[in-house]
Amino acid sequence: MTVAGGVGQMEDRAIISVRNLVKYFPIETGFLRRQVGVVKAVDDVNFDLNEGETLALVGESGCGKTTTSHCIIQAQRPTAGHVLFRLGDATPMDLTQMEKAQLKQARRNIRMIYQDPYSSLNPRMTLLQIIGEPLIIHKMAGSQEALRDRVAELLRLVRLDPSTMNRYPHAFSGGQRQRIAIARALSLSPKVVIADEAVSALDVSVQAQILNLLKELQNQLGLTYLFVAHNLAVVKYEADRVAVMYAGKIVEIGETEELYTNPRHPYTEALISAAPNPDPDTKNRARIVLTGEVADPGNLPPGCAFHPRCRYAEDRCRREIPELVEVGGEEGQSHRAACHFASELDLAGISGGAEEVEIEQA
Amino acid sequence: MTAQQAGEREATSVPGRNAGVDSLLSVRNLQTHFFSREGVVKAVDGVSFDIKPGEILGIAGESGCGKSVTSQSILRILPRNGKIVGGEILFNNGDRTVDLATEEADGRVLRDIRGKEIAMIFQEPMTSFSPVHTIGDQIIETIRIHQDVSKEEAREQAVEMLRRVGMPNPARNIEEYTFNLSGGMRQRAMVALSLSCRPKLLIADEPTTAVDVTIQAQMLELLRDIQADLGMAIIMITHDLGVIAELTDRVMIMYLGKEVEHGTVEDVFHRPQHPYTRGLLASIPKMEPGRVEIEPIEGVVPNPYAMPTGCKFHTRCPEYIAGVCEKRDPPLTAVRPGHEVSCYLYGGREELE
Repeated sequence: MTVAGGVGQMEDRAIISVRNLVKYFPIETGFLRRQVGVVKAVDDVNFDLNEGETLALVGESGCGKTTTSHCIIQAQRPTAGHVLFRLGDATPMDLTQMEKAQLKQARRNIRMIYQDPYSSLNPRMTLLQIIGEPLIIHKMAGSQEALRDRVAELLRLVRLDPSTMNRYPHAFSGGQRQRIAIARALSLSPKVVIADEAVSALDVSVQAQILNLLKELQNQLGLTYLFVAHNLAVVKYEADRVAVMYAGKIVEIGETEELYTNPRHPYTEALISAAPNPDPDTKNRARIVLTGEVADPGNLPPGCAFHPRCRYAEDRCRREIPELVEVGGEEGQSHRAACHFASELDLAGISGGAEEVEIEQA
Repeated sequence: MTAQQAGEREATSVPGRNAGVDSLLSVRNLQTHFFSREGVVKAVDGVSFDIKPGEILGIAGESGCGKSVTSQSILRILPRNGKIVGGEILFNNGDRTVDLATEEADGRVLRDIRGKEIAMIFQEPMTSFSPVHTIGDQIIETIRIHQDVSKEEAREQAVEMLRRVGMPNPARNIEEYTFNLSGGMRQRAMVALSLSCRPKLLIADEPTTAVDVTIQAQMLELLRDIQADLGMAIIMITHDLGVIAELTDRVMIMYLGKEVEHGTVEDVFHRPQHPYTRGLLASIPKMEPGRVEIEPIEGVVPNPYAMPTGCKFHTRCPEYIAGVCEKRDPPLTAVRPGHEVSCYLYGGREELE
């Protein structure tokens, strides 16, 4: 389906454009399931995912980052808004308006990787079946032999031994299983991969392997990633741009280095400050410890949803919801923040950089 | 066991031995194994460490390294198929030293120590609480089991402890059930419960793993403040080296049931010696400006039923010495006072020849 007029243009470089995306869940009560409220899981989210980049969605539990990714792939139908998707020079299509059959075609190009490779892989299927299944469903498998060849190629791509394709997931460790999940996601040669907390359940040594593998695959295959995560250090390593979400809204978005060194929203500043750093020298640094907890998206405070925890909050913050506006990054990069005082506050980002670790041989 | 027998045990427990010089807890060559149809898993295989009163010790490592089993062994709350097959856990309980490894797991000595002298907090606060009793009732019960006080006094102590852990309205919170509390408040209530008898040692097993980063920061601040306030020793068990660096004085790094390195956090983080410790630190993405590459440790953690011989890390080690590392466990070698490493790069090869 092509885009009806007035939905908004896609940026030149964008492969996916999210426009005014809204997802509300009703709160129902009693036998008659009377609606008594609404959980604003995603509330007017806008961003562009540019071809070949890694954009991270970060935030704490309940901020709407996973719901946003589900609404992009239409695993959950959004309440309102548009998700524009463009392949090459073709006319953009609006995924939210598509019927099932059309969606199936579009989903060839947008694949997902999930957090827990113990539940995302069917234990009764062999690697050949798991990785080959999307090819069969989309009738891209060809002969049995061609399917085996393609699966072998995918296994080599994720650095697994192709001779293991007749084994079951239980024979593999967590890191290896995540490689299997990646191979499955790549089986249809997609353009976009949505990785939802794809490395969060892994041990650090294995997490590093998967992070590097994802980067290599991106360079090799020209993939575009939407990287949903809560770990700021991981996001710093993996993403080109970062969107910080709080209570269903994007509160800040910009280039990774710019956003980390020069945050413009107090929530971003607090998140960066709270992230524990594996360096004992920073033990006694002054840390911003936010009071209270993440706002309840079913019962949002008036004005800026962050104001009850914000140490810079003033009267205006309690009344007016701030817009996500351009605050101007370095060298003309786009850097947007949703804070009334974004241009006045002097916020602290990451700094310094500890000295090199001495490796002494005894 | 009758009370009288228990009394005799107490009186004769660990004669003539001390829990290290001025140590609160001395774990010596602890071996805890799990027995199942598939075979034996040596979850903890010869671990030793000391903790002094008021000290914060970190135990860090990846899944399957034995860090949680070590803490379960100390409190004797192992799953049924887990057994302590060797070693000592010497706890300096005021006037006498008790070997927790040889006491009855549900005998009087351990029941007196567990919850009173040594308390524990877990990853999921709901596992510490009953959902059908108010948090106040549960804290008061814990206090009255271990101390001879009236209900009113116990209640006052409970309110006071809830206040100390930063509950917003202790007098009201004491009447609440856990399901009424938010995640962060549950964590605080759990800390209050564990500290209600003023333990000498608090074991925290991944207490911040399931919570968001802003709540984690609150939790770490709370543990730091309350430690300064009450002065108990803390064993912090976590896979997160960032948490270790922020909270602890000393750290022990474990891999597959073995201790690979221990020392002050400054020594271990700034001058890591064991190839595994270096690998771990190199694999963590850093919160620093500019591009900082990470280097993963190659390979996968071996199957616990088919553990490598010799140094458990030799199959993944970039500095593997053929003909040495696979032969026998490397001994712990001091590279400087208080900083020990078990790796043949630093000594122990002579004994092989």
